[in-house]
Amino acid sequence: MSTTENRVTELVQKEYEHGFVTELETDTLPPGLSEETIHQISARKSEPGWLLEARLKAYRHWLNMTDPEWAKLKHPQIDYQAISYYSAPKKGGGGPESLDEVDPELIAAYNRLGIPLEEQKALAGVAVDAVFDSVSIATTFREPLAKAGVIFCSFSEAVRHHPELVRKYLGSVVPYTDNYFACLNAAVFSDGTFVYIPRGVRCPMELSSYFRINEANTGQFERTLIVAEEGSHVSYLEGCTAPKRDNNQLHAAVVELVAMTDATIKYSTVQNWYPGDADGRGGIYNFVTKRGDCRGERSHISWTQVETGSAITWKYPSCILRGDDSVGEFHSVAVTRAGQQADTGTKMIHMGRNTKSTIVSKGISAGRGQNTYRGLVRMTPKAENARNHTRCDSLLIGNRCGAHTFPYIEVKNPSAKVEHEATTSRIGEDQLFYCRQRGLSEENAVSLIVNGFCKEVFRELPMEFAMEAQKLLDLTLEGAVG
Amino acid sequence: MITAAQQNDWFLHHLSQSAGDLPGRGLVWLNTHRKRARQSLPQLPALNREQEAWRYTSIEGLLQQRFIPASTDIGAFKTLDINPWLLSGLDAYRLVFVNGRCLPLPADFTDLPDDAVLSSLRNALSTHPEQLCNWFEQNGSRAENLFTTLNSALINDGMLLHIGKDVVLEKPIEILYLNLGRNHSLLVQPRNLVVLESGAGATLIERYVGGDPSSGFHNHLTEIQLSGGASLEHYRLQDENEGTHHLCTIFLSQYERSHYRGTHVSFGGRWARTDCHALLKQPGARCEVNGLYTVGDAQLNDFHLRVRHAAPGCTSREWFKGILHGKGRAVFDGHIIVDRDAQQSDAQLSNDNLMLTRSAEVDTKPQLEIYADDVKCSHGTTVGEIDPAQLFYLRSRGIDREKALTMLSLGFAAGISSEIRLAALREEVDRRLMQKVNG
Repeated sequence: MSTTENRVTELVQKEYEHGFVTELETDTLPPGLSEETIHQISARKSEPGWLLEARLKAYRHWLNMTDPEWAKLKHPQIDYQAISYYSAPKKGGGGPESLDEVDPELIAAYNRLGIPLEEQKALAGVAVDAVFDSVSIATTFREPLAKAGVIFCSFSEAVRHHPELVRKYLGSVVPYTDNYFACLNAAVFSDGTFVYIPRGVRCPMELSSYFRINEANTGQFERTLIVAEEGSHVSYLEGCTAPKRDNNQLHAAVVELVAMTDATIKYSTVQNWYPGDADGRGGIYNFVTKRGDCRGERSHISWTQVETGSAITWKYPSCILRGDDSVGEFHSVAVTRAGQQADTGTKMIHMGRNTKSTIVSKGISAGRGQNTYRGLVRMTPKAENARNHTRCDSLLIGNRCGAHTFPYIEVKNPSAKVEHEATTSRIGEDQLFYCRQRGLSEENAVSLIVNGFCKEVFRELPMEFAMEAQKLLDLTLEGAVG
Repeated sequence: MITAAQQNDWFLHHLSQSAGDLPGRGLVWLNTHRKRARQSLPQLPALNREQEAWRYTSIEGLLQQRFIPASTDIGAFKTLDINPWLLSGLDAYRLVFVNGRCLPLPADFTDLPDDAVLSSLRNALSTHPEQLCNWFEQNGSRAENLFTTLNSALINDGMLLHIGKDVVLEKPIEILYLNLGRNHSLLVQPRNLVVLESGAGATLIERYVGGDPSSGFHNHLTEIQLSGGASLEHYRLQDENEGTHHLCTIFLSQYERSHYRGTHVSFGGRWARTDCHALLKQPGARCEVNGLYTVGDAQLNDFHLRVRHAAPGCTSREWFKGILHGKGRAVFDGHIIVDRDAQQSDAQLSNDNLMLTRSAEVDTKPQLEIYADDVKCSHGTTVGEIDPAQLFYLRSRGIDREKALTMLSLGFAAGISSEIRLAALREEVDRRLMQKVNG
């Protein structure tokens, strides 16, 4: 299979397509973290006192915490004092009222990433809350959403206009004490997205936020909070790309989802941040805490993620299935190549009766990539008739990569049924032979097989994203597997 | 949470209690090894929840207890009638240990081939010191955690089984561990060494049985080496009293085309754990580890399995089944590692659990860690209760509920127990299993 080897070499050497730095004037805090930094961040965002207090409380707690070491990841010690904790594109006066007011260079940057804001507005029917570094710069489709009563805005805006909602739900799913990175985020979070779907409302369109890290040495600490009231329904899309640079960048986001009785939240992510060069230099360190809380009966939270970027991915989108008959889902495709490392998975905590969860994880490792699935399924004593099915498959391309599976299963209720299965293999010679025998080139055959391998996850993505994800996968593995 | 200081206190207490009574004091190499083990104490990690391998298995209760080193004086047991504990219809070469010491029974080893050694460790220290010395030089002290270190620091008695090149034993070997502590909480630490030279073959049965009620600590350490083409069939039936703490650590290393087939059955003990480390060192080795466990009220059973494929073309199969009733707790941790160059590895790991009661708990963790691409590895695990449809089927045919549950439980376990090739042992396992499930 020397052709495959050649392709792996090509793949490893492939440059990051989205690597460019946009020249913009920015307002950036000097590197360093102290109570003063937090006062500064809070002041720049004109935050109310309670939020500043919450930040300081988290910061003081964080000082007593230690970097977690349990994940199967290797990286140099992160110097938290070398990071700048706030960066905002400079603007004269208030925020832009429409796309026309947005810096044309920004728009051009999005266009180069294949995310034409204007076109999407017109064609795709997607409302986009684009986050450029730490501050939201444009939000579209405000009107039709407002008509439906949906609140979809940047986090800072939410703090200004809906403080009662933010105060009620912020930290209620991921408390600041949860883990090291979530705690850091609680102290220094810059901006993010806030979504509130009122009772009985079906959100009229897919909501989407494109994240982008631009300023060198700026950690980005997004905070996303989505609240779906009783009987409501929302689908949220998150996608990210970042320009090329040499310094490792820390990203520690927190996403909290709250689903009340009969509410459904679908959260999809395509992550394609800079993965570092062939030697593993540079690249984003992505330490994310994502958790959904099914608070009522028949709540439904579904996570779908396609992770192709970042030097390090540390991410476990989880569901707390509190309400009876609530449902949690996790669908994931994670690709690691060159020196990328991913330690990702989910937690399904079954607390209510008849709760159900499904986990489908597809890991693809190429080059020297290390791909780890780490998951927890916990059936508490009250989880009567709860069900879980977990499927983890790993595909290995090349003999210098690794695929690991670490599932934790804790069952305290006999009526609960838990099934876990996992396989690890490379692309079967017989499958390749079958396709080639029918006239497909080796490249197409491999592409077909890999796409088939991931299909189960891709079909969970909303239409627009499914296209992008497939394109991304082809792009990522281009030269390696077709 | 357990601290290193707590652990050290516990260790030093038992060290000082036992140290005066060890065999082979004149052997320099043995003293060196004991000493090395003692000296590694400060480097040992505290075995608390932060240690991945001890996450679900607390040793807090164990460390709160102080055990009495078993007396080396076995004079009182010389006239002991062991017949009640033997399996009927099993013709075997036999060693009997009482409280960790091998009884000098009139052993009938006349038909044991010349090239095979089966002896107590104490005996072997005088008859085969060089062989033991070489072994310890090559393999180190096995001082990896608190318990293996304690065993190594106090090497006392145990078993040596050495089978020469191309010798295949016709009869199985049975090692019986009896506990007659007379209500004392004894610390018993057998140390076993099993070496099969190339082409050798044997069947080894280890049975751990109660006797007197006890809350003692039985800390076994067994090292097994299978040279090229050797084949060992290994049965362990742990059926100790339900007050006992039982730990058995096994280090298995396999060479080219050797074959290990282990069946580990665990019924007894209040706190029972098996740590099995298998290292497939050369191509073509095959390692099969099957297990069956039951836990009831106040019992914890833990199986930790670590199989490392370090050479290409090795095969491993691990299949564990557990039945939980009462307030029993079971922990399973299976870990398969495929090294970078161990291409064409074939590994399958499976753990199924049947929960019969509301208050039982199972924590299972089947793990794969794979660094080679041309491999076939899978793992699966299930947890569930008896299928109501199956129960209904049996009941609709006039079988009462209790009986139907027993039948289904035995059927669940049959996948493992029916693989036991020695009829006498298989019947014993089925009989005890039935009692456990009904109990």
